[in-house]
Amino acid sequence: MVLSQPPAAIAAQTSAIAVRSLRKRYGAVEALKGIDFAVQPGEIFGLIGPDGAGKTTTFQILAGVMESTSGEVNVLGTAPRNARLDLGYVTQKFSLYADLSIEENMRYSAGLRQVEGAEFESRARSLLQRVDLDRFRDRLAGQLSGGMKQKLALCCALVARPQVLLLDEPTTGVDPVSRREFWDLLAAVAAEGVTVVAATPYLDEAERCHRIALIYAGEIQQIGTVQELRDNLGLRRMEVRAESLDEAERALSQVQGTESPLFKGAATAGDPSDSIASEAIPPAPPGKGGGLNRGTERPLSKGAATAGDASAIVDIQTFGDRLDVMVTDAERGDQQIRAVLAQHDIALKDLRQDEPTLENVFVNQLRQQGLDPAYLEFPAYRSGKEKGGRAIDTHRLQKTFGSFQAVKGVDITVRYGEIYGLLGANGAGKTTTIKMLCGLLPASGGEIELAGQTSDLNRSEVRSRIGYMSQKFTLYDDLTILQNLEFYCGVYGVPKKLRREKIDWVLETCGLAGRENLTTGSLPGGWKQRVSFGASVMHEPDILFLDEPTSGVDPLARRQFWRLIRDFARRGTAILVTTHYLEEAENCNTMAFMVAGVIVAQGSPSGIKTSQPGQLIELVSGQTQAASDFLKERLEPWRVAIFGDRLHLVLDHPERELDEIHRWLAEADIEVQSARPIPFSLEDAFIGIVQRAEGA
Amino acid sequence: MKRVFSQCLKELNQFRRDRLTVALAFVLPLAVLLIYGFAIRLEAKNIPLAVQDFDNSFLSRTYVERLFATQQFVPTPLEGTTPTAALDRGDAKATVVIPPDFERRIKSHKPVTVQALIDGTDVNNARVIQNSLRATTQFFLRSSGLVPAQAASPIQPHLRIWFNPGRREALYIVPGIFGVILWVFPSMLASIALVREKEQGTIVQVYASDLSAVEWLLGKELAYVIVGLGEALVVMLVATLLFNLRFRGDPTTLIVGTVIYLGAAVAFGLLVGARAGNQTGAVQGTAIAGFLTALLLSGFIYRIENIPFPLSLVSNIIPARYFIDITRDAFVRGTGWIGVWYAPLAIALIGGFFFRVATRVLHRMQFKD
Repeated sequence: MVLSQPPAAIAAQTSAIAVRSLRKRYGAVEALKGIDFAVQPGEIFGLIGPDGAGKTTTFQILAGVMESTSGEVNVLGTAPRNARLDLGYVTQKFSLYADLSIEENMRYSAGLRQVEGAEFESRARSLLQRVDLDRFRDRLAGQLSGGMKQKLALCCALVARPQVLLLDEPTTGVDPVSRREFWDLLAAVAAEGVTVVAATPYLDEAERCHRIALIYAGEIQQIGTVQELRDNLGLRRMEVRAESLDEAERALSQVQGTESPLFKGAATAGDPSDSIASEAIPPAPPGKGGGLNRGTERPLSKGAATAGDASAIVDIQTFGDRLDVMVTDAERGDQQIRAVLAQHDIALKDLRQDEPTLENVFVNQLRQQGLDPAYLEFPAYRSGKEKGGRAIDTHRLQKTFGSFQAVKGVDITVRYGEIYGLLGANGAGKTTTIKMLCGLLPASGGEIELAGQTSDLNRSEVRSRIGYMSQKFTLYDDLTILQNLEFYCGVYGVPKKLRREKIDWVLETCGLAGRENLTTGSLPGGWKQRVSFGASVMHEPDILFLDEPTSGVDPLARRQFWRLIRDFARRGTAILVTTHYLEEAENCNTMAFMVAGVIVAQGSPSGIKTSQPGQLIELVSGQTQAASDFLKERLEPWRVAIFGDRLHLVLDHPERELDEIHRWLAEADIEVQSARPIPFSLEDAFIGIVQRAEGA
Repeated sequence: MKRVFSQCLKELNQFRRDRLTVALAFVLPLAVLLIYGFAIRLEAKNIPLAVQDFDNSFLSRTYVERLFATQQFVPTPLEGTTPTAALDRGDAKATVVIPPDFERRIKSHKPVTVQALIDGTDVNNARVIQNSLRATTQFFLRSSGLVPAQAASPIQPHLRIWFNPGRREALYIVPGIFGVILWVFPSMLASIALVREKEQGTIVQVYASDLSAVEWLLGKELAYVIVGLGEALVVMLVATLLFNLRFRGDPTTLIVGTVIYLGAAVAFGLLVGARAGNQTGAVQGTAIAGFLTALLLSGFIYRIENIPFPLSLVSNIIPARYFIDITRDAFVRGTGWIGVWYAPLAIALIGGFFFRVATRVLHRMQFKD
């Protein structure tokens, strides 16, 4: 599956980094199972994968701070340890000294690499000016925001003028605006010839790399440019918006192509009334070595038979207000979707085709390996609340810690049967809000109505109707999984005769059946998270609070998570979920974006995107960096961002401005190959909202 | 060397910003000084003593007065209970029972038995009480002219207490406290400083540069020896004012000894920090190891010669033992270099060993598997 990989012999001479059959073993655990890749000088290379995939281990070996078990690693033509002075390494936690000032941190980092005196002064000044931290030189690093810390860490790494920059998830938990600025900076640094290797859990950031490697469970699954990976998938993505998404999903899943023996069991044993079969069926595996499965003949399936033709539909995913349907061929898919929906009398509101997302690529890849977790219906015994009633209602909710105002007047309404997403960077006030809502923290001001109650929110009657899954696992590490689940059954008062069934459901859903006697502490983070979700819903709560349920979970498990969440919503549970992955917000019916304790935007995902003024333009130019630098001087800088070899421009009046931009670029002798409008992502929308608010 | 200094500078900057470590460096040591300096009293005073005088004659009353005249005992009433009951309840640590024919028998030159019951729970105190009752009885006999004053012994010892003629206990305790404080706190601070870099991940940046373990540790060593010197100055100054301590003779032994001792303490802290995984481990490791050895095996309170054989070897490698020799010499004995020349050498040797092991632990400057 390795694409665009130069032959190893050439790679060793020309590439900045060459890795061959690299392995790393920690005791019995094999963290890296023989990975190969090469990075060219001046390239931005992305390492994309979930927690525990082996990214950090790879970085530690590349940075020369850990020995590999076996394999060849060549950095700048030598062993990583000898190249250390030419490397810049930014770790997940930024490695800053919280009680030193910006200046002192810089000076110390520089001193470690023997950059001193006047040389240090001039480099530090120019770097800090570039990231706009020059004004805060004396501020302690511990008092900086996430985005500023991240910039400072980058400056510390850059002060010694490294040839290679290693960035291990530098943007996790940082707000979107800072993340975008950070990547702009990286693009500029790479354009100056620095080789950049970056890891990120955000798939939208992966698109900003020249090439990416998908890494999962210690193995590299695919390498290539984002476009190559998409093309290689050989599928198109259709966005379907219809009157009733549930019914549309059910109808479409009946005609979905199915041929994998792996999932036949699930498809036939499934409950016909619900969406059991919809996600469990993987597409045909593309041939090894980049074979394209576009147009390959599919055997007839039960669904295809009803449609009368080989089905073009491969996969269906439900989001908060739309369906994503993966089809083998855009035209046939379009016809088929329209036909099926018409047949079932479902009014189609909108149908458009687009490129598959990186997540589609990733999910598809993992499914081929049979890594899809099982999906089972929750054994429900309580009839849920009637949908539509108000479950959570807050008015001017506030929280002050000492002199710090964490939440500044938040209004939220969540109804039964609704998934409400609260988004924001670390420190935006999401967790504080959730804690106040479930009665764990008293509010400093404002009103809360929870399940019809306005006071004494931590009374046991109210609490028994609430489920809460916190960011930090609430499981006991030294108990077994079974003991943990039994404990929570007891705590939440699940009737004795139902316990066994519910616990079995959690174990099956988590793929842990038969392993319930493992100690919980030995599970990787993503698994713990699933068990902990299971533990929080066993008592069938009416209101469910999920605080960052999906951080560190791989894309497949994340999809399963969202399906479970949706199922609960369908049964009438009100769900409030926080996340810092913007792309996940698409799963919500309603979402709110928090910045520094204030909700800056609220609405449905599509609503927020369409309410954005202007248009997003993708511009392809031979001189991306030059074009970016040039345009940033003429437009507001946030309107211009580099995505790999393209440029994204946010224009309020594209019809007028685009001509002008073409003229400017022509005058500056920058060639434009193409410029086309593309849809806003949520990310673009939020950056626009925040920047416009700041500018106003 | 430049990198060592920049390391040291960074460490001092961090130290002074963190209020908690500053408190740990200066407030806690002073608290320890006050607690130990005032609370540890080895001499027996104010022991509750109950007397049951069945005779109630002139002689018996004189005898009782004599018992309390030393101020070592305070009277506690019996009030109807038996002498053993008073001991059981803990009202008295000792009781003295005087028989009804006390005066009569003495006057008729017959031997008389006075019963003394002593609470033996506290062995040390019991011995002190026993000796004291004996001595008082002897003195009473002589002073009442019941036995000839110069009768028995042909040898008359002429006693004089050297170095500490007033037998002031502070002179014994306080120099010992210096040994405890200046070991425990500098080593704790150094181990926290090291382990914090592991916990916060900042150590990765050090690993990713080509700084050697020796350079890195030397920087920290230097910084915390400087902090320790500040601490020593404050603690010793407060102690001399509060407990009226004076230099006896040559102060250079103390100055040189303190610097070397702090160096060894910080090196020990670095060793613990290099081994420990988190701050809790570092604090516990340095505190327990420090207090135990510096209190029990150093001769601070208990004589080294009393430590039984295999354990007594351990006390030879406890730096506090040598440092206490130095401080006691500086504040009490005043013999100078002639008396304690070996002590700084021994401390330097042990400290050097700690530093060497700490660099061995970190010598690869890499993550371990």
